[in-house]
Amino acid sequence: MNVSPDPWVWIASILTLAIFSFLYRENPFYRFAEHLYVGVANGYAITFYWHRVLVPSLFDRVGGPAPLGTKIWLIGIAIVGALYFTRFIPRISWLVRIPIAFLLGYACGSSIPRAVEAEIIQQARATIITRANFHHFWQGIWAVIILIGVICTISYFFFSAEHRGVLKPAAYIGIIFIMVGFGASFGYTVMARISLFIGRLQYLLGDWLGIVK
Amino acid sequence: MSLWQRLLNIDRRWIYAVLALVVIGPLLFPFSIKPKPSPPVERLFNYIDTMPVDKALVISVDFTPDTQAELLPMVIAMLRHAFATGHKVGVLTMDVYGLGLARDALAQVSAEFNAHATSHDDSVINGEDYVFWGWTTPLVTVMLGMGERITKVFPIDYYGNRTESLPITRELRNYEDVGILVTCAASAIPRSWINYAQVQFDVKVGCGITAVSAADFYPYLNSGQFTGMLAGMRGAAEYEEMVETKMIELGKNWRLRRKGTEAMSSQTAAHMAIMFFIIAGNIAFIVTRRKKR
Repeated sequence: MNVSPDPWVWIASILTLAIFSFLYRENPFYRFAEHLYVGVANGYAITFYWHRVLVPSLFDRVGGPAPLGTKIWLIGIAIVGALYFTRFIPRISWLVRIPIAFLLGYACGSSIPRAVEAEIIQQARATIITRANFHHFWQGIWAVIILIGVICTISYFFFSAEHRGVLKPAAYIGIIFIMVGFGASFGYTVMARISLFIGRLQYLLGDWLGIVK
Repeated sequence: MSLWQRLLNIDRRWIYAVLALVVIGPLLFPFSIKPKPSPPVERLFNYIDTMPVDKALVISVDFTPDTQAELLPMVIAMLRHAFATGHKVGVLTMDVYGLGLARDALAQVSAEFNAHATSHDDSVINGEDYVFWGWTTPLVTVMLGMGERITKVFPIDYYGNRTESLPITRELRNYEDVGILVTCAASAIPRSWINYAQVQFDVKVGCGITAVSAADFYPYLNSGQFTGMLAGMRGAAEYEEMVETKMIELGKNWRLRRKGTEAMSSQTAAHMAIMFFIIAGNIAFIVTRRKKR
């Protein structure tokens, strides 16, 4: 056993145990660690946003040797951004719609064409079966299964017509594919949670207590 | 109350206690498990391994400390792989909380290589062999701007150096110099890398993701939008194994710590325990329901 002399390792370990204590029941140690985490995380983020974004991108440029036109643009954009804070003044809170409109317009304009290409066209293309899929036997089989899965799952979510005739078995097979998907997701979720627990135990037993090398 | 009813009403804290024992046991007394690389992991490894030396590996550390157990071993393994094969590395983060993780990973791996270095060529040097651009925002501007000129997006690196003055900048100007960009994320950021970096600039994208989100990203692997994928701690362990084999081939048998591989015996034991709980719970449920009827 080789216990760490580093006080930060001790603090991190004790806070980890305080969070784990919630598994037994709600308690003041857990509450303390939870609030401390939220406060520290927000303080850390705000500091970085101030020093790495606002100061170099706005204050340094407005107060520096940038051309007058650039300065006017930056000040104008900063004023529009500052309108987010009008949420706290009920009488003029409607002004918050202005920066939200700018942000939504920018985000939609930049993302929609690319999302259509990446998430609809490319994904649809991946379901098309070509001769190349059958260069390897199992690759071909999986390509057929994926095609059936996509068509049947979409059939299940087709609500414009009653699920009768061909649509009924297709939707039923779609449910099976959806359930398999949920099962895989659940299995992966269990794996993820256990992994995080193992990670913390590696820290407690290794970095802190020095039992695990 | 019958045994089955007692099983159904068991206090969840007993289950936590059993799981804790099942996980701690193999950490203290590990049994040997050699992870067999799965095709998505092999694809990513082989791509980086056979990438021309003048092409860089860019790693985007897009996760926060809460998921570091799964994702940090991937970053460390990829850094070891890139440095061992002589590729330049650029590291950035899209999440402000990822800064410390990326910095520590770079410090650890560069120290591992420098401890065995005998000359300047063997060393791993900041600004020459790797650059840590750090973090900036907003995401869209970063992803699109890197396609034009990286130094415009990151005028200074994490350590405060002007990126234009770094020697690595001559070889790593924009996506054209990037062999592959691997995003390690616990969120939907890999989709953004596809939407902005790949669609617009045709850059190769790989991903390392938490197991929770693995099922969401398999369609992108199947469509070829991801070159390869590491899913969860298992994916990290598989990659670590491949890197270890490669490093031994290259005469770098340094026996470095592999946290993902170390965790596999606990992971296996915990999965077996959970499978047992699920089966026992279902049997108990069916038996008690029959008795009620």
